[in-house]
Amino acid sequence: MGGLRLVVRTFSELCLTLGTLIVLFVVYVLYWTGVQADSASAGQIDTLQRAWTSTPAGAPPAPGKPSTLPAYAPGEGIAVMYVPRLGRDWKWPVLEGTGADVLKKGLGHYAATGRLGATGNFAVAGHRRTHGDPFKDFPRLRAGDAVVLTDGTTWFTYRIVRAPYRTVPTDVGVVAPLPTSFGRNAAGFDGPGRYLTLTTCEPEWGSSHRLIAWAHLDATRPVADGRPQALGS
Amino acid sequence: MYGWIWRHLPGNAWVRALLSIVLVLAVVYVLFQYVFPWAEPLLPFNDVTVDGQ
Repeated sequence: MGGLRLVVRTFSELCLTLGTLIVLFVVYVLYWTGVQADSASAGQIDTLQRAWTSTPAGAPPAPGKPSTLPAYAPGEGIAVMYVPRLGRDWKWPVLEGTGADVLKKGLGHYAATGRLGATGNFAVAGHRRTHGDPFKDFPRLRAGDAVVLTDGTTWFTYRIVRAPYRTVPTDVGVVAPLPTSFGRNAAGFDGPGRYLTLTTCEPEWGSSHRLIAWAHLDATRPVADGRPQALGS
Repeated sequence: MYGWIWRHLPGNAWVRALLSIVLVLAVVYVLFQYVFPWAEPLLPFNDVTVDGQ
């Protein structure tokens, strides 16, 4: 009987341990990744803003010929993004690259896509859930919503052109310079322009699909002239 | 299992209780610092890009 008792006790201890492990993992995924993302993204924004103030911006680069600028460095902070629809205080850094280590700290710019404000498509990916839930309310985006970015010299106000478009992960055309979905003009853009694409996962906790939001550059404004109207008061 | 650990900890009951807490905290630290960050990307929540893969 002693042997059986030992087996039963060890088995129940293992079950309790496994249960605790699962609870701890859920706490990690739902809570702790968010805590870490909040501090990492705040740190990235701080770093960017400190860099912007220490090197006073000259004249904003003439839009239209940004091809002379070097490519962004992997992991480098590019801009700070504001989307009023996702929250009054919603602001996230945009970093270069879309690797897991980058998306832990903020939004990720697809390395192969265009520069901020330039002709082409500035494509950005972000977590819908976990790691701070930046794009949790992504489905609430609607045509006309502002997506505002600043690179320290210029405010770029993009306008969403349609409600989020649902597609599959292989649909790489959605981040092309002239975005299409499998050759179909889902974004409704007529020709080359200054576009922005946001991508996240769909469904909320899954990975079978992606949600895409497209926007076009609506206005630019030197940082010296103050925050753009879209950010309101 | 836990009984075995308890019996093999040194000291009286108070010292053992203290050591147990330290052990638990150490395990939680290792989990949060190393094990969970490794396991988390295996879940589907990280797939937010279109990459053709």
